[in-house]
Amino acid sequence: MKSKIDFVLDFFSYGLKGGAKYYTWLGILALFILPWAYGSYQQLVAKGMIVAGYTDQISWAIYEGNFVFLVGVAAAAVTVVFPYYVYHYKPLKNVVLIGEMLAITAVIMVILFILFHMGRPDRLWHLIPIIGIFNWPNSMLTWDILVLNGYLGLNIICGFYSMYKRYTGQPLNEKFYMTFVYISIVWALSIHTVTAFLMNTMPTRPMWFHSLMPIKFISTAFAGGPALIIVALLTVRKNTKLEIPDEAINLLSQIVVWCLGIALFLILSEVVTELYPSTEHSFQLKYAMFGMFGLTKMAPWMWASYIMMIGSFILLLIPSVRKNYTILPIICVTLFIGIWIDKGLALVIPGMIPSPIGEFSEYTPTWIEIFIVAGNWAIGFMIFTILAKGAIGVMLGDVLHPSAVGKKVAHH
Amino acid sequence: MSTEEKKETEGTDISRRQFFKEAGAISAAVAAAAASSVIAPEEAEARTTFAEMFQKNYRLMTDEEKKEAIARLEQRHSEEYGKKVTVDGSPAIKDVLFGYALNIQKCIGCRRCVHACVKENNQSRHDPEIQWIRVIKMEKGNFTVDDMNKGYPANANESFGIQVGGNAYKNSGVALEGQHYYQPETVPEKDAFYFPIQCHQCEKPPCVKVCPVRTTYRDPDGIVVIDYNWCIGCRMCVAACPYWARRFNWGDPNLPAEEMNPNTHYLGNRPRMRGVVEKCTFCLQRTRKGRYTACLEVCPVGARKFGNLLDPESEVSKILDRKKVFRLKADMNTYPKFFYFID
Amino acid sequence: MKTRRIIKVTFGALVVGTMIFGSGRFQTQAQQEQPVQSAAATAPVTDCFESREGYTAVTRVENVTPDGNPNVKCSPTTNGVLWWGDPFDGTVPMGDMPAFGPDDKTRGDYETEEAVVKPREPMLMYFNMEPTQNCAFCHNGQTVPFPTDKNPRLLAAHQDIVENSMQLMHGRAAFWCLDCHNATNRNKLIDHKGNEVSFNQPQQLCGKCHGEVYIDWRMGIHGKRIGSWTKGGKKRWWVCTECHNPHTVQVNRFQAIKPELAPALPKGMKDAAHEQHHGGGPAPAAGHGEAAPAKH
Repeated sequence: MKSKIDFVLDFFSYGLKGGAKYYTWLGILALFILPWAYGSYQQLVAKGMIVAGYTDQISWAIYEGNFVFLVGVAAAAVTVVFPYYVYHYKPLKNVVLIGEMLAITAVIMVILFILFHMGRPDRLWHLIPIIGIFNWPNSMLTWDILVLNGYLGLNIICGFYSMYKRYTGQPLNEKFYMTFVYISIVWALSIHTVTAFLMNTMPTRPMWFHSLMPIKFISTAFAGGPALIIVALLTVRKNTKLEIPDEAINLLSQIVVWCLGIALFLILSEVVTELYPSTEHSFQLKYAMFGMFGLTKMAPWMWASYIMMIGSFILLLIPSVRKNYTILPIICVTLFIGIWIDKGLALVIPGMIPSPIGEFSEYTPTWIEIFIVAGNWAIGFMIFTILAKGAIGVMLGDVLHPSAVGKKVAHH
Repeated sequence: MSTEEKKETEGTDISRRQFFKEAGAISAAVAAAAASSVIAPEEAEARTTFAEMFQKNYRLMTDEEKKEAIARLEQRHSEEYGKKVTVDGSPAIKDVLFGYALNIQKCIGCRRCVHACVKENNQSRHDPEIQWIRVIKMEKGNFTVDDMNKGYPANANESFGIQVGGNAYKNSGVALEGQHYYQPETVPEKDAFYFPIQCHQCEKPPCVKVCPVRTTYRDPDGIVVIDYNWCIGCRMCVAACPYWARRFNWGDPNLPAEEMNPNTHYLGNRPRMRGVVEKCTFCLQRTRKGRYTACLEVCPVGARKFGNLLDPESEVSKILDRKKVFRLKADMNTYPKFFYFID
Repeated sequence: MKTRRIIKVTFGALVVGTMIFGSGRFQTQAQQEQPVQSAAATAPVTDCFESREGYTAVTRVENVTPDGNPNVKCSPTTNGVLWWGDPFDGTVPMGDMPAFGPDDKTRGDYETEEAVVKPREPMLMYFNMEPTQNCAFCHNGQTVPFPTDKNPRLLAAHQDIVENSMQLMHGRAAFWCLDCHNATNRNKLIDHKGNEVSFNQPQQLCGKCHGEVYIDWRMGIHGKRIGSWTKGGKKRWWVCTECHNPHTVQVNRFQAIKPELAPALPKGMKDAAHEQHHGGGPAPAAGHGEAAPAKH
């Protein structure tokens, strides 16, 4: 037990230790905390969600958008776990843990956004079976709660179990470990599928009500998530001693380009299917793309997202661009933002416009909402930085139990 | 507080005052005594809040627990609004299935139902303004010969197969793109008809299906109810309702004490709190006691009809029997018990 | 380890920070929003009307119900009644509703339930006359002689009720005032068979021609009832003239009234101009964008 506590303390101590650059980065992120705390206080304690730009017409907006998007980021860890464990693609050796740390972070962020989505976060215990009521299997939200928490657990087990074993210099219990790894691979798909089901099982919202939704979610997730991992890996490679081979990055950029291609194809299918017959059920997509009746707030975002995604796709198709590690992160960030708009803003919000009885209105986030969203992202980046730093320490052998010094155990 | 307790505290107060007087700190003692007498009801309030926080879902409470919960609410609201507030817990009446029929031909769009509902059901008056009924103004359509050739391409070869134009873009009828914020001098207007929408009390309610904590459920009389104390505010039901019937208390509801209707029901019009969903319950605080709904009673044209669907002699049953009836968004397969009809 | 201490210190700082925040010291004054003026808070509207403005007046009286409610609560915007504390305030039993033959299905539960109406006869006051005198005060055969036939002629008075007596806006010129009003007893109506009908039960007269609507009314499909929905419950029935003005019904089935206020615009919306552009088409200018401004 003591070695476990030591591990946790050593892990986080290492994660919080760094040079001036590292502290500057954490400091910048910390700057977002103060407005976040102010916003959180206003929304969660003082006044409630009325401080946000939400209305009865648009009752899901930016928090839910970020929630949906981040579930995708969490699921994307499978793009490194799968090739490494199933295809035994060795260059990903040092990447897997970073992917798992990203998954953990993303799920924590999801929980954070859900907290702000809730009208009564103080009553979340009503969901706990036995003392509360868990309307499973009827409610799709209960499925989502199950898969998301399960995924968080799986990644904590997979990630921290293997790190702990390295820390103490003990060999892995292969049977135990691999069982969880395989479960987590399937589970990763399930989290985003269920999140898609959460939305597309509502015929009330015609824009969401199509069976492409789960696969579109997964393909955009597997483009956006690895794009973020690429940026993280390039940063890690530049700033730490951890060895990240080019092959790892090349594989990920290939995954990005193909998943993005599939995603674009699915978007095209959706747009044609909706806009060709152009019934009242296509109003929501039409509003998102072109605006309707003079309400056009969403259209610039939508087109910016399309341009970002298509542009990145075309550029990433060129092998020399893909292998240029100066341009690649820029494309990855662009792509990441493009997908964030597509799945975060332009999917959730237009699904509410017009309302089920045909009322058009527009959504404008308040500053408090923006503070909260920015703060949640800053917290997310902070958690990821610290977790990744700790994981790198473990992989480099810097985070090591005194008893394990000198031991040499082969690990995955 | 029982009288005995009261005496006791008064007694200690006096002795304390005496003590301080002797000590020569008079002003401090007065302040302390005043503070102690103010705190007492707050403590009671805190205790109520604490008890409410851990109460069960209303549906699963025993009769005893229901009584306790209701007593707590009655005490709290009576204090809060400065009048005797009753919270009813009547269950559904046996062999009654409530149904509603609205004569869309008669409705003149005066919105009296909307405001009567607010008066009866203790909705938040502003910030957020909550109304359970929405009346939509629909166009009768205005087709003219002058528009026959408008919008068509001048040269048929340049049309790329696009074949709409002329009067095609005229709105007419139930298209669910009406006006929600119309405000003419008088109603009805010549070229419009009106379409009120509220909770349809579906037999297959999508809102109930998606609720993760079953705070909203269907009672035997067909009313979809909400236990406001159990709602976690996830708004799945708001997103799933095809009739946009559900409203959310985005902030603390603003209900002036003098406008508060003290005859309430636990599952109906009792004051709500921040962060929970609410909606039309067919005024179950009234209807379960035999009274018509508030919206029906104020309709100046008698377009609204309500009654027991299981009684063939009831007004709604007669309408279903004799009139042309339709349900809104029948394709959703929700089986509403809110019917629209024409003569 | 040094960093361990840093963790502790940071955590401590966070806790303290949260406590300061929690104490509400940073709350801004901006949240003290001015409450919107509630009209009911000042003086409740007392001169109200039920359905037909000018013909269904009702005055709010405080504390008439057992639980201390007024008889009605009215809209400060339109003076329309928005809530009945006592649905049976000022009503009288409706009286007889003859069956259409032995197996009449149109009366519903009328046989077993209590039906009341608001008497219309007190509304017959004219020129501020005494209620007991009503129309017959002048139409007594001497002050105003009884007419000898039912032929339309120009009236010397009552232009406020019937603007042009040669063109009665009811029945499309097929009949005239005295087909409904009793020539020799102006406080009563009269049907085509010469039976006197009370103003309190105009349906017995109207139903003679408007048979289909009358049947719907008897069954509760047409018209309005308030009170108890239950089988056998007490109901107040609205009679024909409480909603329809028989003198102008040909042009105005229901007299236009002022609507209640529109809902507040959703947060972030400045106006509802986009609603004027509806019609499904791409360019509002091409279609009916200008066709339906929110004006009568």
